[in-house]
Amino acid sequence: MLATVSSATLLGVEGRRVRVEVHVSSGLPGFTVVGLPDTTCREARDRVRAALLSSRLKWPSSRVTVNLAPPGLRKVGSGLDLAIAVALLAASEQVPPECVGGRAYLGELGLDGSVRPVPGVLPLVDALGEAEVVVPVACAVEAQLLGRHQVRSVATLDDLVGALTERCPWPAAPPPPDPPVPLPEPDLADVRGQPAARYALEVAAAGGHHLLLVGSPGAGKTMLARRLPGLLPDLTPGEALEATRIHSAAGMSLPPGGLVRRPPFRAPHHGASAVSLVGGGSGTMQPGEVSLAHRGILFLDELGEFEAAVLDNLRQPLEEGVIRVARAAARVAYPARVLLVGAMNPCPCGDGGAPGACRCSPSAKARYARRVSGPLVDRFDLRVEVGRPEVAALLSTETAEPTAAVAARVAEARARALARGIAANAHLPAWRLEEAAKLDRGATRLVERKLRAGELTGRGLSGVRRVARTVADLAGDEGPLTAGHVAAALTLRSTPAFLSGRAA
Amino acid sequence: MALETTAAVRSGPVVTATAPSPPAGHGDGLPMGEAYAAAIAGLPGMGPARMTAVLGRWSPAEAWERLLAGDVRDEADVLRALGPRHGELVARWRAEARSVDVGGVGRALAAAGVGVVLIGSAEYPAALVGDVEPPAVLFHLGPLALAGAPRVAIVGTRRCSSTGAGVAFELGRDLAAAGVVVVSGLAAGIDGAAHRGVLAACGAPPVGVVGSGLDVVYPVRHRGLWREVGERGLLLSEAPLGARPERWRFPARNRIIAGLADLVIVVESHRRGGSLHTVDEADRRGVDVMAVPGSVRNPAAAGTNELLAEGRAPVCSIDDVLVALGLRAGAGSGGGDGGDAGDRRAQPEAGDLALLDAIGWQAGTLDDLVSRTGVDLVRLAPGLERLCETGWLARSGGWYERVGASGGKDEA
Repeated sequence: MLATVSSATLLGVEGRRVRVEVHVSSGLPGFTVVGLPDTTCREARDRVRAALLSSRLKWPSSRVTVNLAPPGLRKVGSGLDLAIAVALLAASEQVPPECVGGRAYLGELGLDGSVRPVPGVLPLVDALGEAEVVVPVACAVEAQLLGRHQVRSVATLDDLVGALTERCPWPAAPPPPDPPVPLPEPDLADVRGQPAARYALEVAAAGGHHLLLVGSPGAGKTMLARRLPGLLPDLTPGEALEATRIHSAAGMSLPPGGLVRRPPFRAPHHGASAVSLVGGGSGTMQPGEVSLAHRGILFLDELGEFEAAVLDNLRQPLEEGVIRVARAAARVAYPARVLLVGAMNPCPCGDGGAPGACRCSPSAKARYARRVSGPLVDRFDLRVEVGRPEVAALLSTETAEPTAAVAARVAEARARALARGIAANAHLPAWRLEEAAKLDRGATRLVERKLRAGELTGRGLSGVRRVARTVADLAGDEGPLTAGHVAAALTLRSTPAFLSGRAA
Repeated sequence: MALETTAAVRSGPVVTATAPSPPAGHGDGLPMGEAYAAAIAGLPGMGPARMTAVLGRWSPAEAWERLLAGDVRDEADVLRALGPRHGELVARWRAEARSVDVGGVGRALAAAGVGVVLIGSAEYPAALVGDVEPPAVLFHLGPLALAGAPRVAIVGTRRCSSTGAGVAFELGRDLAAAGVVVVSGLAAGIDGAAHRGVLAACGAPPVGVVGSGLDVVYPVRHRGLWREVGERGLLLSEAPLGARPERWRFPARNRIIAGLADLVIVVESHRRGGSLHTVDEADRRGVDVMAVPGSVRNPAAAGTNELLAEGRAPVCSIDDVLVALGLRAGAGSGGGDGGDAGDRRAQPEAGDLALLDAIGWQAGTLDDLVSRTGVDLVRLAPGLERLCETGWLARSGGWYERVGASGGKDEA
């Protein structure tokens, strides 16, 4: 007997439909899985056998062949367990074959017959054409996010067989989770003084410009960066699905409600390897930190301590918003549109910056400059020196402007960008700058002087225009950019001390 | 001029042990005494004290023959200067001396235009004659006759703020214009800025005292400055041609600066800086030390502020220096923040001038500037850009600093 059911497997952060064919025939008893399963998937044999026996079902004592089609696609993980079990039951006529069709099955089996959650249910469900999907109870909320499918959730194999044979009804869907309570995020009201750094955060949030904070230890760079997510608006439904898909595929726990609604904030340690940052891996390919931060913030604290080679891997994804990882087994593209925030000391001794304060030897400085390559620093359109806040500001009882007030201005500026057809001004393509970020006469003269003096490069000019557009949007100024807007953008683009002497 | 010679011109493994290379006549090199002294100065580990001991005991020619023969056994004074491992040192010198062609050393010096003056000679700088540790031999580029004019040493940290560099530049310029000879070390930072000021003034000639050989420019980016000081003033060194800028040579150099000066001005110094060593040397010689006050927030002014706390006289303007030198009566001095004479910058418009006053003389980040002026960044930025462009503010690595008249940090 032959039976076929639908399921799906993960490729990168996307689901691929898989047809599970089980053939039961007379012959020497045996169980073979073909169709490029990885080790975990091949081991389904033992999990399925034990689960069937625990559920008082029969393990056919005949020759069983499982084919996972298309055979050229690598199948990863244990998510096909449930589909294999169902197809086997149909092929061995323990369940009427006509009852299993028209549905897809996702889930891992425990030896006791329980159906366990698997990572990536959202992209997996997305890949399925069937109207009805059977998933583990723990994944029900996530599977419903798309809203395209009738989602059935089961806790055990026994429940599933009962429902398929119409011995008992489908188990009720788990109650919808409580509406998500917004997690308290650190508030800008805690930041004392530092007006320029606060403004830089506002511009970064409003325009999606990459931000580099340079300052001595204790100046509050990390504190500032942690307050950036709170300024960003909620993800749009489309963005939320994109982010959720990646988090789901990476097997990360999703927020209550299943959907990643707030921009993610990822802060990998500076010991991170290239693979952990950009994704890949030799066995199962995993998205890297830059993809996990998709539509959110990638915060690289102590930027100068990362391996130079690791950082240089980021240059291409920052430009394109996507990472293409090619391995012998497969080629995948991970979305990676992030707002990059870097924080670093001005020089190895940490005291640099302030004129005359640095204790570094020229060679130590040169080594530091080599670590953080000029091209990477170029990607940061906002570069701000963060000084230690004034003592008076630290002790002041006056509360600073809270996150909510700044976020309202950010939302307004973002709305202006949206009217131009882009999510944020940082994504303005170069060919649209002339129309969307036109310079008036004074602004043209200012940038001309900067270009002639060699203080600005062509790429730098594009960055300055995008930032100036955001500055104008925040101020509510329509029309061409003025010298004031451009001057503010230039002021927010200082060349770090260790790189001084280069054009910005 | 090309100064690409090496310390000791070697002539292969020749020379017999019995006779030193015969003096090569006077026509094509220096007088032989000076050539011998230069050759001795070029021996490894030959510092000021050993040089003084060796040349204090013998004439240069005799000393050379003694060293060539390794014969210093009975000379207690010399052996004391050589230290506990004198046997080793004498053997090394002996081996080294065999490969040195003294005539060649003299010719190389003459070719480079470098003069050699021995202690006791008539040309030897008068200021150093009575010194507690006078150099036994001095190499010089330019005329030695600088006596008569008052001499002021301007010293300070290599890692200075642009305010400090500006002050050093102005002091150098104004002192030279007032006919005061400025002595400095040609190092990066304050020293270089002071010399640049002297060269800008077209007044009294500059005097540079360096630690390396006169053909070894250090720091390399001061090549142009170094050459100009040599051409228009005097370059002095105790080290022979080809000597590397080894660490021990700088304290020795500082003592010569202190010895030459009638007054030492420290413009900026960190709490433990090399310029404070010059101050110690000045104290040993009874030379007055003055210091330029700096902001308490400026780490490069911590050392100078401590000097002031010890009771040294402050330098707030050129007048303070001229009064201390007795060139001007002490009445109504003070005043003026650097003097605007010769300031070629465009006068900022009223709004920017007010901004400049609100920013003050203390270096600060953008955060500090916004706090000080009380103007938000968007409205502040155009003014900052204008002031940076016209040279009233200096920006480096995200820090802003107000710039005094024509003061510039050392550029390449």
